[in-house]
Amino acid sequence: MSVRHALLALLSEGPKYGLQLREEFEARTGEVWPLNVGQVYTTLQRLERDGLVESDGSGDEGPQKGFQITGAGSAELAGWLHTPPDLSSPPRDELVMKVLVATQVPGVDVREVIQAHRRYLVQLMQQWTRIKEEEAGDDLNLALVVDAELFRLDAVVRWLDAADGRLKRAAADPAPVAAPAAAPLPRVRRRAGSRR
Amino acid sequence: MSILELRGVAKTYGDGAAEVHALDGVDLTVTAGQMVAVMGPSGSGKSTLLTIAGSLEEPDRGEVLVAGMALRELSRNARARLRRRTVGYVFQDFNLLPGLTAAENVALPLELDGVPGRTARGAALRALEEVGLSARAPHFPDQLSGGERQRVAIARAVAGERRLLLADEPSGALDSGNAEAVMRLIHSACKRGVAAVVVTHDAQLASWADRVVFLRDGKIVDQTMPMAGPESLLSQGQTP
Amino acid sequence: MSTMLDDRPATGTGNGGVPARRAVVRWAWRLFRREWRQQLLVLALITVAVAATFLGATVATNSQGRPAGTFGTAQDLANFHGNDPHLATEIAALQHRWGRTDVIENQTIQFPGSTGTYDLRAQDPHGAFGPPMLSLIQGRYPVTAAQVAVTPGVASQFGLHVGRAWRVGGTTRTVTGIVQNPQSLLDEFALVLPGQVRAPTTVSVLFDARNVPAQSLGPNVVTRQQVASSNPINPETITLALATLGMLLIGLVAVGGFTVLAQRRLRSLGMLGALGATDRHVRLVVRANGVVVGVAGTVLGAVLGFLAWVAYRPHVESSSHHLIGVFALPWVVIGPAMVLAVLATYLAAGRPARSISRIPVVAALSGRPAPPKQVHRSAIPGVVIAAVAFGLLAYAGANSVSTSGQTPAFAPLAMIAGLVLLVVAVILLAPLCLALLGRLAAHTPVAARLALRDLSRYRARSGSALAAISLGVLISVIISVQSSARFANPLDYAGPNLTSSQLVVYPPGGNGPSATPPTASQLQAAPAAARQLAASLGSGRVLELDQAGATLERAEPGRNWDGPIFVATPALLRAFGIRPDQVHANADILTMRPGLPGLSKMQLLYGVNKNPGGATSFPCPPGQCLANPVIQGVSALPAGTSAPNTVVTEHAVHQLGLHTQVAGWFIQTAHPLTAAQIKSAEETAATADMTVETKSSIPSNNQIVDWATVFGLVLALGILAMSVGLIRSETASDLRTLTATGAGGGTRRALTAVTAGALGLLGAVLGTAAAYLGSVAWFVDDRFEGGLHALSAVPVTGLLVLLVAMPVAAAAGGCLFSGREPAALGRQPIE
Repeated sequence: MSVRHALLALLSEGPKYGLQLREEFEARTGEVWPLNVGQVYTTLQRLERDGLVESDGSGDEGPQKGFQITGAGSAELAGWLHTPPDLSSPPRDELVMKVLVATQVPGVDVREVIQAHRRYLVQLMQQWTRIKEEEAGDDLNLALVVDAELFRLDAVVRWLDAADGRLKRAAADPAPVAAPAAAPLPRVRRRAGSRR
Repeated sequence: MSILELRGVAKTYGDGAAEVHALDGVDLTVTAGQMVAVMGPSGSGKSTLLTIAGSLEEPDRGEVLVAGMALRELSRNARARLRRRTVGYVFQDFNLLPGLTAAENVALPLELDGVPGRTARGAALRALEEVGLSARAPHFPDQLSGGERQRVAIARAVAGERRLLLADEPSGALDSGNAEAVMRLIHSACKRGVAAVVVTHDAQLASWADRVVFLRDGKIVDQTMPMAGPESLLSQGQTP
Repeated sequence: MSTMLDDRPATGTGNGGVPARRAVVRWAWRLFRREWRQQLLVLALITVAVAATFLGATVATNSQGRPAGTFGTAQDLANFHGNDPHLATEIAALQHRWGRTDVIENQTIQFPGSTGTYDLRAQDPHGAFGPPMLSLIQGRYPVTAAQVAVTPGVASQFGLHVGRAWRVGGTTRTVTGIVQNPQSLLDEFALVLPGQVRAPTTVSVLFDARNVPAQSLGPNVVTRQQVASSNPINPETITLALATLGMLLIGLVAVGGFTVLAQRRLRSLGMLGALGATDRHVRLVVRANGVVVGVAGTVLGAVLGFLAWVAYRPHVESSSHHLIGVFALPWVVIGPAMVLAVLATYLAAGRPARSISRIPVVAALSGRPAPPKQVHRSAIPGVVIAAVAFGLLAYAGANSVSTSGQTPAFAPLAMIAGLVLLVVAVILLAPLCLALLGRLAAHTPVAARLALRDLSRYRARSGSALAAISLGVLISVIISVQSSARFANPLDYAGPNLTSSQLVVYPPGGNGPSATPPTASQLQAAPAAARQLAASLGSGRVLELDQAGATLERAEPGRNWDGPIFVATPALLRAFGIRPDQVHANADILTMRPGLPGLSKMQLLYGVNKNPGGATSFPCPPGQCLANPVIQGVSALPAGTSAPNTVVTEHAVHQLGLHTQVAGWFIQTAHPLTAAQIKSAEETAATADMTVETKSSIPSNNQIVDWATVFGLVLALGILAMSVGLIRSETASDLRTLTATGAGGGTRRALTAVTAGALGLLGAVLGTAAAYLGSVAWFVDDRFEGGLHALSAVPVTGLLVLLVAMPVAAAAGGCLFSGREPAALGRQPIE
């Protein structure tokens, strides 16, 4: 989990107190990624246990306790930054499921379903863009986070566009679609399951 | 006040088996200061909508009103005048006339309209200043970067109190940074009262618009609802 | 910014007025500055044409004699014979009536040993009108009766220089200066003080009688206007006609050039339309571009032409024999030619301008070339105009010389109109020929099919190129056919007088004007002198030419016999390798002129001709004439017009009792004569008071046909070289697609080769057909030239070169130069 590595990253700048760590974390992620205090201290304890950080040894648990990163901690951080996240297995995406199911349910216009999702996604994107336009002008971190959201949503919209096109072609030329229509759903599900 | 109004606009290309309904009964109203994005896949009729709205093509059926004038009733020359005075175009990749400097490109529609050279040039320089390119005024298009060229095109499209800006994939050939700059300029033009229609298949670009219209097979199938303010998104995100 | 709207015209015509036109023209000018290389072809053509017109017109007009050479600054000139008894009274009357006069007395004297003359001239160098006719090269003018100034020619002839004493006109005088007539350097004279010429041959009086009709001035008065306007077909008219023809050709090529250029700028022009430019603005861009090219080419051409003139001027001065100022330019020709050049480009840009403004803005913006319009243009206008052209040519041909020997006034007009309409017909019919070509394409290999289809699809460009090629071929073939027809006339035989290794020596008094008849001793010495002359040239082959007192005639209107008739002496037959048994026993005339033996109504006149000049009746009265003489063709006789090409047999001489006399000596040398040999032969002959004749500069038919063919060939290939690139660049994107689908350089080569070859062949066929049909019309009723028979002389080699070699060369050239796709042609030069 990346909260662990985010804290390591903050400590790599120099020794910090627990409370300070939480504030800086939220500030750097553009305040779109809230974190509670408990989460911070649990994580710090685990890091200390693993020898990745060390406390200044004052003993008392609390906001005034200081932490600093160890050599092992720096190595761990560097390794994590360079390791690509596991993107090979498809996430259990609700939207994908809905579209797949919609193709099977009689009386439902899949393309209407897709459009409904697309409209919602574009509305979301309009809101993010508004944030970027109005507030992210000087705030680099916020801009990066908003971009990440926009690109993520954009990817989904594109998938919807592609699905829309595929369904349109399938509707225009139904013969090749008739056979796979019955089979593909369980197979995809099975394969997705086997990887997890 | 509606700057652009399309009522039941239809356009068909070809005939017989090769008949294509580019537009099929499109209604659209864009008011002053509004930025509307038209989204849709290729072949959905986006570009046709734009050329009809800009009087470059005539619809087979339906009515187009630009700034209250019905295009159908205008002569060829009157439509050309409308393009010089009221409508500004921004295209995807080819926008500036080679052989004319940035300033001259911007001043061209004004000069074509009979504005004396000096006045037109002044207006062009002001428009270039608005897009942050005053320094590039004496440069020729081939000395400008793609982003700069597009910004000059926007300056030209809004110079001289133009009220309708029509943009066809205005940032299609640009990287995301330049694309954002271009959309920002269009949006800020709208804040000054220009009505804009941006045609794109890119959701990120469309999301700059106040309203996104979805075009499919020549018909408007959907559009985004008036949104809540951006604060809702942040507060929504902050709840764990 | 709100003030801006106030500056706009409220509604107006909707064209934006002057600012809009200025903006549009400025853009056209910038485009020309950026892309002038792509217009190099048209630019170069116009530059060359204007430069050629400039130089040609200047040289042509300055080469001819000038009124100032005889008039000075006077308007009128009265000429009197020196022996006129009332001379003094008449001069006094003129002086009394017109006030200022300038009297010039000339005594014509023959140079010793030559037919050339010079004048002993009495003229006041500071007279009222004469000074422009005199200029001093060296020394000074004579001031006393014992002084004389001479021209360089006189000086060299008599070995004179300033200070030498020279006896002339019975008086010994001192040479004080070398003078010349700057208006006529051929004018050789010795200048003395007025009154010093004792026995003048002629007396000229210069005076000014402005605004008085020439008729009222007397019979021996000539006015300046009469001299100037006596010749309507002057060099100015001819160069202007040639320039017009050249500009027409350029205009045709330019149509293709501008079309391609407009096509390349399609997107820019579409953008202009999207910005609110009206159709008129779009047309203005293309037209302005055309005019800019025209003006640039014209200015460049004028500068080049002027520089060439400055460089060439000394040659013209020496060959035209008068001094010429650097700025003596015939603006009457140059001005219109320059205007024509600009007009040609303006008009050539007109058609692409119209068609490009008709393309919908959306199609133009996308850069799609508009699908070529399937115009099924009718062949009828072309055919009708061709028919009218043939009618006019037939009329002009039939009336070229009327029975009364006078040309009707409108026959030349009909000829010019016919030729112009013939050209128009070719221009109209050229695109239709391309359409036919397109139909043939279906059965050819893919590259050829593509090339032929493109030619017929994009007719706007290829049609004008084809018309230009056809026009070049048309001109070339018409010249060849007319020349061949003229040279094939066996009666009025035309051609070079002699070959370069032949020479004819004429006895004293036998040729040219001579003041005194030859003395008997001179005549006796002549044969020896001729043999001596031959020996000096290294030739022992001297043939005595005997002229029979007879001439041939055809009792028909039209061209008639011209040339000497010599006697076929045994020596003459031997000299040309003709054995006596080859000559028919009853033959009266032997000739090498082809076609002469077959002519009807021939008669040999040997008596006194009672009807000089006119056609005699047939058969003519016997005793002075032999009707239907037996004419035998002998090809071994020499061909020159001054050589014995037609001889009368000794059989006829005896039978008719013809009187013969020695007319000259024919000398054949082993090698062509050099200029030095000719000069020394002339000098040697002069000592015996004889004259010589050598090869003149008259071209032979073969030379004329060769030159015409080379002209047609170079023009056609030049037009092809320039226009095939343009035509192919139109379809450069097709070529890329073709390359992408796997077609190699071979296909590209084949494409260009077929395009060039097909255009060349079609142009050659169309041009030749039009030229021959025009010539048939011209000769169909031309009794003067002998009717259609004149066309039997076909310039075979010339036609083969144009019809076969030219297309093959074009195809080969296309093949050679097209393997590599020119990147610049394929790329859209936009942004």
